[in-house]
Amino acid sequence: MARLELDGVVKHYGRTEVIRGVDLTVEDGAFCVFVGPSGCGKSTLLRMIAGLEDITDGEALIDGERINERGPADRGLAMVFQTYALYPHKTVYGNMAFALRHAGVAKAVIDRQVRDAAAILGLDGLLERYPRQLSGGQRQRVAIGRAIVRNPRIFLFDEPLSNLDAALRVQMRVEILRLHQRLGTTMIYVTHDQVEAMTLADKIVVLNGGRIEQVGAPMQLYQHPANLFVARFIGSPTMNVLPVTPVGLEGGVARVRTAAGTAVEVPVAEAVTAENTQFGVRPEQLRVLDADVDGDGVFRGVAQVVERLGGETLLHVALGDDAIIVVKAAGGSAHRVGDPVVVAPEDGAGHLFDGTGRCVDRLMPAARA
Amino acid sequence: MSPGQSRRSLALVHLVLAGYTVVALFPVLLVVINSLKTRRAIFTEPLGLPFGAAFDLVGYQTVLAQGDFANYYANSLIVTVVALGLILLLGAAAAHALAEYRFRLNTFFAIYLIIGIMVPIRLGTVAILELMVELSLVNTLLALILVYTAQGLPIAVFIFTEFMRSLSRDIKDSARMDGLSEYRIFLEVVLPLIRPVIATVAVFSMIPIWNDLWFPLILAPGEATKTVTLGVQQFIGQYTVNWNAVLAALTIAILPVLALYALFSRQLIRGITAGAVK
Repeated sequence: MARLELDGVVKHYGRTEVIRGVDLTVEDGAFCVFVGPSGCGKSTLLRMIAGLEDITDGEALIDGERINERGPADRGLAMVFQTYALYPHKTVYGNMAFALRHAGVAKAVIDRQVRDAAAILGLDGLLERYPRQLSGGQRQRVAIGRAIVRNPRIFLFDEPLSNLDAALRVQMRVEILRLHQRLGTTMIYVTHDQVEAMTLADKIVVLNGGRIEQVGAPMQLYQHPANLFVARFIGSPTMNVLPVTPVGLEGGVARVRTAAGTAVEVPVAEAVTAENTQFGVRPEQLRVLDADVDGDGVFRGVAQVVERLGGETLLHVALGDDAIIVVKAAGGSAHRVGDPVVVAPEDGAGHLFDGTGRCVDRLMPAARA
Repeated sequence: MSPGQSRRSLALVHLVLAGYTVVALFPVLLVVINSLKTRRAIFTEPLGLPFGAAFDLVGYQTVLAQGDFANYYANSLIVTVVALGLILLLGAAAAHALAEYRFRLNTFFAIYLIIGIMVPIRLGTVAILELMVELSLVNTLLALILVYTAQGLPIAVFIFTEFMRSLSRDIKDSARMDGLSEYRIFLEVVLPLIRPVIATVAVFSMIPIWNDLWFPLILAPGEATKTVTLGVQQFIGQYTVNWNAVLAALTIAILPVLALYALFSRQLIRGITAGAVK
């Protein structure tokens, strides 16, 4: 168990700056997820923590101790890789025991630890098999077992579920979560999948272009994104974003108008600048109304695509001005392609973003009342 | 393609391959058959089988009676095995460095080694001979071992590098996390993974060394350091050739190559087809 601190961490490859100054604290026992689009530097950052990449500038500390100069094996970390990275010429037992054997641990101790880890992961019957005789899920479990056996201070996961099929991914996700609850060890997990990030993390770190966009608990990021990037990245389907013109600010409520003339009210805690303001609202914050509802607070359009997911239906509604908004409607929605659709945001839902993409502070519900 | 058509084209492929096999094996078979015949039978009926009156082991008796022949054979084995070991070890290590690490002269060394593939080592024979004379290595097996190692390295490094680039980076990183030094990563993780390619490179490198006449003739023609190919020359006189002995010696000389091939064949095929079918 350990607490990790990154202080102004920078990584250069030649002249290209891949990580541009990251400050982060991961508390003892936390499940921290690095998430971001491909090429955002999340894997590089993890590999720097692991010691597989040098830290060009800045400091990494575990429990207050600087680890920049320590080799990967001397940091007390264990890592699970996307491609499992099992030794193909060693059995499951051999794979799990390898690091301990190398460290000169007594045979009896190794045996007990390997069998304990195997029991946790349900690998008991597979210890004599070779990796090629295992399924993808079993291989990833062995890889996790190999990490557990080392009893690390921090677990590092580099997109561990990306090579698994969808059903297995969901199952392994739950298993990793259970493992975290059981071991209570600090875990740092890299993924590009925001669903994995939301479901696993205590703390999500959204990275973009080698910089941290926002750090926070999953629901904090979902409800209070710091900027347009985080707002769009967290949540599925992605947030609808429309350009708007501010028309008034009164009693902590900003009034904005879309190009098509729809007026929306968003409670804000600060003034809204006039230029390039955008309004964002999540598909689940929109309600479908009867087609004959009138008023200037509604969006009118035509259903262009209807995705039926069973429990819910996603309507892609083409508005008059070429914009498309996605609405999460009931599973039994009767809408068909070409039908006129009228939707309105829930009262006070949505965010305003200023010209730089920063999210305008929302008035907290308590403050409003 | 319909099933009938594909079967016909498959048959054609096999016909071509079978034809090539016959062409390739015929000379070898001829050597083996004739090594078991009398001198008269070799000339009157070169394609006849060694039965009845034609059967004669005089060739083998001559070769084995020559006390030195066992010595030649040992020389060949020592030179080939040691050179091969050096080629594989140094070649794989160099390839690992080229494939795994970023350093300033990486590309330069890779190209430098490719030049070694393109320029035949025999062009440098005079310089090599001068060098060996300076080092007093003429008429030693070490001279041959060094030359063959140099000769085999470029292509070995080239093949190994290509294959090692395709190895997953994760597995090496995983070994680093497990606390292995870079040398042990090479020995315990990388080498077992490239076994099929080692077999391929071993066979490709061994045959030219075993068969070489040029360098033994120039660098180590002394009686004590003669190799098999050079030793066989004593049966080829200016006026007469002792065909029985020549053919028997050659038949014996084929054996190690065959043994090596049998040992490596499965790995060899996997090595050649790796990447091609995956």
